[in-house]
Amino acid sequence: MAETLIDVIQQLINGLMYGAFYALIGLGFTLFFGVMKKFNLAYGPTIMVGIYLGLIPLYVWEAPIWTVFIACVAGAVAVGFVVEFACFRFLRQGHELAPLMTTIGMLILLQEAVVIVTHALPYEYPAVFGDESWELGPFLIRPDYVAMLLTGVILVVVLYVVVNRTRFGRAMRAVAENPTVARLLGVSVNRMNTLTFALTSALGGATGFFVAISLGALQPGIASWMTIKGLVVIVIGGLGSIPGAILAGLLLGVVELQALWFLGIGYRDIFAYVLLFAFLVLRPAGLLGKAAT
Amino acid sequence: MRRFFVCSVVWAMALVLLPSGVSAFQEEGTLRIGGMWALSGPAAYVGSSSNGLSSLAIDEINEAGGVEIKGKRVKLVKYAYDDACKAEEGLTIVRRLADSDKVLFSLGPTCSNVAEPVFGTLQKRLDDPNDTGLQFLFFTDTAIKFGLAKISPWAFRNVGNEPAMFDLTFQLVQEKYPDLKTVAVAYESDFAHSVSTWKGAVKPALEKYGYQVLDVVEWRFEDTEFGPQTSKLRKLNPDILVMLSHTYTTCGSMKEFKRQRVKSKLMVGITSTANTETMTACGMAVEGMIIPTNFAPINPKAKEIAELAWAKYKADSNLHSVPAYENIYAIKGIVEKVGIDNEPHTLLADRRKVRDALAKLGTFQGIIGPIKMNGDDDPVKPRDVDKAVILVQAKGGEWTVWWQPPEMEQDKQ
Repeated sequence: MAETLIDVIQQLINGLMYGAFYALIGLGFTLFFGVMKKFNLAYGPTIMVGIYLGLIPLYVWEAPIWTVFIACVAGAVAVGFVVEFACFRFLRQGHELAPLMTTIGMLILLQEAVVIVTHALPYEYPAVFGDESWELGPFLIRPDYVAMLLTGVILVVVLYVVVNRTRFGRAMRAVAENPTVARLLGVSVNRMNTLTFALTSALGGATGFFVAISLGALQPGIASWMTIKGLVVIVIGGLGSIPGAILAGLLLGVVELQALWFLGIGYRDIFAYVLLFAFLVLRPAGLLGKAAT
Repeated sequence: MRRFFVCSVVWAMALVLLPSGVSAFQEEGTLRIGGMWALSGPAAYVGSSSNGLSSLAIDEINEAGGVEIKGKRVKLVKYAYDDACKAEEGLTIVRRLADSDKVLFSLGPTCSNVAEPVFGTLQKRLDDPNDTGLQFLFFTDTAIKFGLAKISPWAFRNVGNEPAMFDLTFQLVQEKYPDLKTVAVAYESDFAHSVSTWKGAVKPALEKYGYQVLDVVEWRFEDTEFGPQTSKLRKLNPDILVMLSHTYTTCGSMKEFKRQRVKSKLMVGITSTANTETMTACGMAVEGMIIPTNFAPINPKAKEIAELAWAKYKADSNLHSVPAYENIYAIKGIVEKVGIDNEPHTLLADRRKVRDALAKLGTFQGIIGPIKMNGDDDPVKPRDVDKAVILVQAKGGEWTVWWQPPEMEQDKQ
């Protein structure tokens, strides 16, 4: 009994920390949808390309790890600008499915571009915290997950301050509420969309850095993985809800790892999608989203 | 304007989709061969290596003058496509290779989950007019799941025999480490090769040599989190860990093993991970792992090919990719021996001639030793090969030979 309890708590700890990845990825998707009312399916590959670009200082100049972090963020922002320009800037209003199509195309393009450029070779990412765990009684805690969790908390706090306490955040919320009125009030909607892309891409780059140092080996397939998880998180959390995305990410992480531990790999994915369908059927607005009126 | 635009698009599509090969092959001085590999996606490293080794063989043959057909030297031309390790892509590509590109035969596919349905589209019974399956020859270099060549008499493979390889592996392990008794296994439950290796090769070998299997844990081919499975393995504390997962998950899981202090006395890996990709991505995490393979640079020719393939095509030479090189030379020898006409209207007959000759080929020379092609009437593995097995071990960031057949030791001396 005691051993089972330890197992449950261990997987809960793992699930919460792993769920922090999902939360941060979902946060990016949520910000896009919240401001632009559109899905950006190229967000996952944006992060992925940022992570690959982060390797340049490491492999070319053997630069210290903090430069890899900066390069990840800067790389993701640069790709974010490209995605915004290519997939959103010139789309006409009223064509609701157009952004979906353009960003799916960009997802494929970016993923395959990385495969071609890297010759499909895997790249080892430095294990910043080594391959060790901290012991806390009977529990093992991964220091890279803790670092990611703490960074995630800092990023969320910074995001909260930016969105709620700055002029930029006020303008962003105005565009999210009503772009027409915001335009009338002198807010440049295009500029706000571009800056939103920059902000969310920077968030993605930071997240991607921690994903990469935890994985240890990089391959282009992580773009699809991040995209799927991000979409699941924003549906469960509620479209456009930042707190919802955070809660949903943590919930997804816990559900997946508990199912994996007790029932096996097949049930991990089943439970994750059962959770998704349950929310879609029973609570379509998600955990903290606004119900449709 | 709109009508003009639509007409232009229609004409352009018609031109693109028109079957190629209207001019005679022999006339244009080419012999067409095909290849379908995973050139993108998680198996891209394996597929692109096979593609590279095949290009190396083609370059060598063409630089030496080409293939002799009806007294004329023709160049090999390869039509290669990316199946992305997806069955639906493979099914499209095989039709294109057979009917549009009109190639003599095809190398690949990389993945067994592609090969199985693709071979299923081929003719099942030779000379049966009611069998409308494709009369198209495959000489596969990579898809290694046991028994695939049985699907069609048009499917031939130069791949490892994993049941025999793992039987030998555990026989040798038991001889060298008789105190090791317990085993835990990890495999990718959604990847055909991993599943078939566990069920068809490793499990029978472990039973035969009396090992106790403590538990079997599973993950997916593209998983990134291995915590729960590793926790289970930690509790079991097995003597031997058998890792039947491919490079990406092997690296991730081995690092998790280190974090959770899972340490077995011995590790055995799946055949596909004995390559440069694993060393590049996993580094010292796989130190000590033993893997059965059919290729290692153990003689000058093998070393030369490995170096050239990497220098020219960034292609890793391993048990999956080197057969692509060997197969092209084997087919060249057959074509020159049996004589084909190499015309579009004789394509079916040419494919049949080469197929029949391949079935009767017997022994041919591989890079590290002779390879025996089993004929149509082999009761166990028709149209598959028997070839030497080597065991390699990860040591100091490199694959070193842990065991090789005694006759190869003598050849080296």
